[in-house]
Amino acid sequence: MLDIRNISKRYSGIPAVENVSFCARAGEVTGYLGPNGSGKSTTIKMITGLIAMDSGSILFDGKPIHSDLMAYKQRLGYVPEEPYLYTHLSGAEYLVMVAQLRNLAPRLASERIDGLLRAFALYDDRHVAISAYSKGMRQKVLLAAALLHNPDLVLLDEPFSGLDVGSSLILRSLIEELAARGKVVLFSSHELETVERISSRIVILHRGRIVADDSIEGLRTLMSLPTLEGIFSQLAVQQDTTAISKQIADLIHA
Amino acid sequence: MRKPLSMERRQFRVLYRTFLMRVIDLELLSADADTSRLLAQFAALFAGMSFLFTFWIIASGGALPRDFLWLMEHFLIATTMVVVGLFSVLCWDSIFPDRRDVLVLAPLPVRARTLFRAKIAALISALSLSVLSLNSISGLIWPFLFSATNEGGLLGILHALAAYWATMILAGLFMFCCVLGVQGAASQLLPRQHFLRLSALLQIAVFFLFFGVYILEPSLETPRALTAPENQRLLAWLPSYWFLGLFQQLNGSMFPAFAPLVRRAWEGLAVALFGGMASILMAYFRTMGKIVEDPDIVPGAHRANWSPRFGTLLQTSVVLFSVRTLLRSRQHRVLLSFCLGSGLAIVLAYVKTALDLQRLLHRATGGAADVSFFVASLWAMCFAILGVRFVISMPHMLRANWIFRMTEIHSVTAYLAAIRRSLWVLAVTPVWLFFCIFFLLRWPAWPIVGHLVLLGLVGAIVVELSLYGFHKLPFTCSWLPGQPKVRLVSWGCLLVLVPPIAGGLEKRRLDQPLGYVCMFVLLACIAAYVRWRTVASARSAEGLIFEEEYRPELFSLNLPRNESIPLPLSADVERSGIC
Repeated sequence: MLDIRNISKRYSGIPAVENVSFCARAGEVTGYLGPNGSGKSTTIKMITGLIAMDSGSILFDGKPIHSDLMAYKQRLGYVPEEPYLYTHLSGAEYLVMVAQLRNLAPRLASERIDGLLRAFALYDDRHVAISAYSKGMRQKVLLAAALLHNPDLVLLDEPFSGLDVGSSLILRSLIEELAARGKVVLFSSHELETVERISSRIVILHRGRIVADDSIEGLRTLMSLPTLEGIFSQLAVQQDTTAISKQIADLIHA
Repeated sequence: MRKPLSMERRQFRVLYRTFLMRVIDLELLSADADTSRLLAQFAALFAGMSFLFTFWIIASGGALPRDFLWLMEHFLIATTMVVVGLFSVLCWDSIFPDRRDVLVLAPLPVRARTLFRAKIAALISALSLSVLSLNSISGLIWPFLFSATNEGGLLGILHALAAYWATMILAGLFMFCCVLGVQGAASQLLPRQHFLRLSALLQIAVFFLFFGVYILEPSLETPRALTAPENQRLLAWLPSYWFLGLFQQLNGSMFPAFAPLVRRAWEGLAVALFGGMASILMAYFRTMGKIVEDPDIVPGAHRANWSPRFGTLLQTSVVLFSVRTLLRSRQHRVLLSFCLGSGLAIVLAYVKTALDLQRLLHRATGGAADVSFFVASLWAMCFAILGVRFVISMPHMLRANWIFRMTEIHSVTAYLAAIRRSLWVLAVTPVWLFFCIFFLLRWPAWPIVGHLVLLGLVGAIVVELSLYGFHKLPFTCSWLPGQPKVRLVSWGCLLVLVPPIAGGLEKRRLDQPLGYVCMFVLLACIAAYVRWRTVASARSAEGLIFEEEYRPELFSLNLPRNESIPLPLSADVERSGIC
């Protein structure tokens, strides 16, 4: 289980995340939602250990992650928000490098890389430089690199970004399958319909603070709203969307 | 009342500023780094060199013979030309619009000519700044002495000043236009994707050409050498002498022997200007469309997946990543060429001088290897290791380094072993093998085998010294300008002084078995000690470094204090890590 306890982060004195606490359990898919700039990616980066938190603690299977960060990283798979990759390497070279860095046995690594490349329809382009890949292909490389070592904790930050319909459907099923096999899955997305369909639990963040943390049914009952979109709009969108769109159109018209 | 700027002029100003700042690749720099500070450091470096060029005036009190003045005239012109040439080569990718320029600017209402003018103006400004800073002190002092060769007096000084600066600007322009012409011709003659592949090789070739000519060109700055028939063919290929002639003409002190050189200078300038302008115009009006249509990199559909083992999985991964990055990143190849080119030039100049001196003194080596070759091999080993070490500390695609942070599951000592392996694969082994073949084909086995063993030990020592405190993976840590300067100076001194002394010492010991064994044992002990020291430093490190940061200006003295007296620190100060 991933246990986040009162974590906070400030950038130049401005709070990005304040006293955030929630749990992501094994066998469940936890959806992490929030508008742009609400602190989702900052939280996920703190969970990966990429950035330090100012206060609070993160526990994985009961142990603080910073007590043995190396062991924790061996059990972690992460897909970042932006597809930053070494574009001078080919897809296959990149995945082999990641497997070697993760100390994966060469034969096992080779089997898994071939399998993942075929599953993500990248096999024919495996020797092409990543610089020639489309955004969706890069996203697939990131997903393959995150799953290569069979991680126990899977953190996915906007994993559907750039994927076509077919790949999105595969990823949706994959996330459910991973959770069904006992992994802790935490993912953030702006695709509310997908989140609603596959998440067992929803955490909504707004201006660095948690405004909702419950199962989707629990939230529906609590808020007396039928859809996640309605719940999200009520909790995290404090603007009159129609008025703002009218204001923008008026502004460029003037 | 000020007239409002036209849209085109405003666009020009914005683009000019953007392109000027992009002459330096900002992606290399650390988050804390400041581009203006980096440019100021470059300007300060050039101004420092300019001050050094005036050393002879200070040392001699201004009384210098005419021949020496000619030598200095040529030296200053050749140095300005090589600096502008190298700068143009380093700006190779900024000269013509790239895919990013076109994709960002094409949807905007910006005319191609505005883009073109802004780009050229930015490049010329950057080059002018380098010429100005390089001649900032020497260009004000030396013309006083050069005026002695014209009519003299105040008018003569002003005349010499104008001639000096005009020559430097024209010589710089000539070099810049030559680079433009070469690059433009290649871009027009070759299909774009082939040009992109060849461009990197061309850049390195031009770089070596400029550097090689500067270091190896003969000294012909006397009337006798300039008029000698056997030198005429050579002079026709050395542009620095053409511009020496041009300076003399503009200064009003021209010897008749310079007339053909002056003619060549004007002809060369005209050809370079025409070639440069034509290639720019064609690049902007013919190639812009192609840049959007054609991808930068041709997919290599069935490229073989070359991945040999280099030790453990981690070592293999780091070595392969280093080799591939060095082979495929143009910036790093150019940087490495710069380091290796400097080293090669010094080694060649040293060997050439030593052999000339030997010939002059009619000394025979008796069939044995000359000590200058031993020194050359030691220098080559040091330059190769330090060059590679410098280049791998420059980042490549910094934002992609998160994968190394995420997979940091090994100890720092394990990463150190992988980085060490990379240095051995990229620097020590190629140099050692080269000298193995070179020496064993020419000279008898024993002394050479002895030397090669010692050369390997020296390589091991330099590798360990260069890795001390280096807790970074190759190409993954941001770069902070100005941090390594102190270490660079000490390394430079060590590099220049030690090999000549060590080479001589070694040559004497190779003939005495006991002396050789002592030397071997001493070097092996040093190698073992420096390795232990480097590993100990890695053991004490908390983790790998991915972001270079300025050192805090205040350090804690860690003085013991009475626990009952609390320190009055605010939370912000505590967090800042100053105390």
